[in-house]
Amino acid sequence: MSPPCFAALLALSAAAFAGIPFLAGDYAIGVALNLLMWIALTQSWVVLSAMTGYVSLGHAVFFGAGAYAMVLCFGSLPFWASVIVAGGATGLLALVVGYPCLRVRGPYFVILTFGLAELVKFVVINIEAALGQFGRLLFGGPGLAEIFYVVLALAAASAAITYSVRRSRFGAGLRAIRENEEAAETLGIDVARYKVLAFALSAVVPGMVGAAMVMRTTYFEPLDLFNPITSFTIVSIAIIGGGDDVPGPVYGAFFLVLLQEMLWANWPEIYMILLGALLVAFVLGVPDGIHGRIASWRRARG
Amino acid sequence: MKKLLTAIAAALAGSIAAEAAEPVKIGFSESKTGLFAQAATSQYQSYNLWREQVNAAGGLDVAGTRRMVEFVSYDDQSNPGKAVQIYEKLITDDKVDLLLAPWGTSLHLAIAGVIERYKFPVVGNTAASVQLRKLKAGNIWFPTSLFPDRQSEVLAALLKDRGVSSAALVTNQLPYTQENKSFVVPALKKAGIELVLNEDYPPDVKDLTALLNKVKNAKPDAVLAYTYPADAVLYMKGAREIGLDQQTQVVLLGPQYDFFGKIFGPARNGILTMGHWTPARKDWPSARAFADAFKARWKTDPDFLDAPLAYVSAEILQQAVARAGLDKDRLRETVAGTTFATINGPVRFEGVMNVALPTMISQIQGGTQHIVWPPRERTAEAIAKPAWK
Repeated sequence: MSPPCFAALLALSAAAFAGIPFLAGDYAIGVALNLLMWIALTQSWVVLSAMTGYVSLGHAVFFGAGAYAMVLCFGSLPFWASVIVAGGATGLLALVVGYPCLRVRGPYFVILTFGLAELVKFVVINIEAALGQFGRLLFGGPGLAEIFYVVLALAAASAAITYSVRRSRFGAGLRAIRENEEAAETLGIDVARYKVLAFALSAVVPGMVGAAMVMRTTYFEPLDLFNPITSFTIVSIAIIGGGDDVPGPVYGAFFLVLLQEMLWANWPEIYMILLGALLVAFVLGVPDGIHGRIASWRRARG
Repeated sequence: MKKLLTAIAAALAGSIAAEAAEPVKIGFSESKTGLFAQAATSQYQSYNLWREQVNAAGGLDVAGTRRMVEFVSYDDQSNPGKAVQIYEKLITDDKVDLLLAPWGTSLHLAIAGVIERYKFPVVGNTAASVQLRKLKAGNIWFPTSLFPDRQSEVLAALLKDRGVSSAALVTNQLPYTQENKSFVVPALKKAGIELVLNEDYPPDVKDLTALLNKVKNAKPDAVLAYTYPADAVLYMKGAREIGLDQQTQVVLLGPQYDFFGKIFGPARNGILTMGHWTPARKDWPSARAFADAFKARWKTDPDFLDAPLAYVSAEILQQAVARAGLDKDRLRETVAGTTFATINGPVRFEGVMNVALPTMISQIQGGTQHIVWPPRERTAEAIAKPAWK
């Protein structure tokens, strides 16, 4: 897809979403907000993990850290400014931890990111305990629509980032790392720098999303905001969506969020079982994800 | 004539059936999966017991009309964000007539914004934090009296009465225990009790033996273990193993639950804990009936904390609806301005708080839980904890 074409499609989709708060009730806005949140988180994950092959199982750390930044700024900065601060803070966090983390590969990296997320969670729990805080209430924050528009902007931004990284020299370098890191290095790619940059880039948007979403519940507790389920869900969506480009996370998020919503609303008693069975069936039947399946259909039709 | 009578009878039956077919829809979110899943079970059991009892008695009295009760509930995955979404759905999409509360402080705080926005009154239950007092009064109320500040004062008074002059405190880093710690430290000091050890441990701790050895070496008169249920088990096992033989041992969260009795049996006797309900109170006649009905329905004893609180919140709603019907404004006024008779004694709200129930300390004795402090509330004298067997 050419850049003008992509920009037009992105603008159209964003405009369609932007109309939702005017047309729908709070419940539908909430579902759409969830959808946008997962799109933004998974797009960011794709920049690092799908492009370089370094699978992060710890993206909840950026979501939680962003939320924590929001908590610390709450009351002293306006909402949007706190969201930006949160993005900067998580980007910095990724730069600091990325350098040592990205020296290990494969399953070791996966476990390391997971461990890192747990470590940061307990550091925050300790800080909060030392400060004498027991969960924080955030009253007087933005309304649902305001949060919705911020997350919409973040989802659009993350899609634009994935699109442009994938088509840049930088993105080509990242994919070269995925295919063969040694070969990439011999070709003159500064692999260490590329990886750390990709890590930081994939951390900024999740931090901002976390900052916005904590205002949705108006309550901060580290165990909730650093929940490893967030990391697992991101990876599930990426696998369901497939590929290392913009459409994958969008397909994956639509599929998982809408399916979950439908099952949850209609079969509250057994929806977890249904969801589990469907996910297993999906991974077995469509291993290259929705995006991969659509691409192969297109190829088959010439 | 006979035909006419039959027709009238049929018409009457039809109208009664039509009325009976219009149930009252009550919505809530349930923590079926996730962090709170195990602890939240008894809340769900109490809600369902209440619904079955009400329906068996001919339905819920809605300002004079009997209507069957029907639940609409969804799994919130112990996730506050999900709970917010569920309450939005219950109110705007399922259009429920009434709401019951979700489980735990964090979910109560999370839904406070939604119910405020829709002015939908909810009687809370399983939440106790001084932060709740910051909530705007009007659409949410809390029947519990286990607020950490008052609880700490009452506990300090009990310890002083038992001649305790030194104590060791170990605390889980989760919010509720931390909050209790922050209030009990000054309360002990004020009561002239020296704190010889004060340490925290992480929520996912796997072994407490090293910490408990430190406690043993500090030789305090009393041990205060500010636990959550999972680590309360570790405390009991560790304390028994190293022979921590203090006669005053407080275990904050854990001993109230039925599973705790199943693991430790008589070994939990003499443990002091938090709680303001016991089936042993003679002046709460329905307390024993509730315990028996719960046992008959679920083949397990109710815990002494969440199960009665959940039931109390349903009783309050039931009595308020009998007077006010389903109109939200009238319901809000009724909940705010009425004294309710519950299995936990009378309940009367001022602001968001129940002012009719004093704060109490309990103790496990003979496999059940008794209130042991303050003296005018107690169902049994506090005993010295027997040696571990």
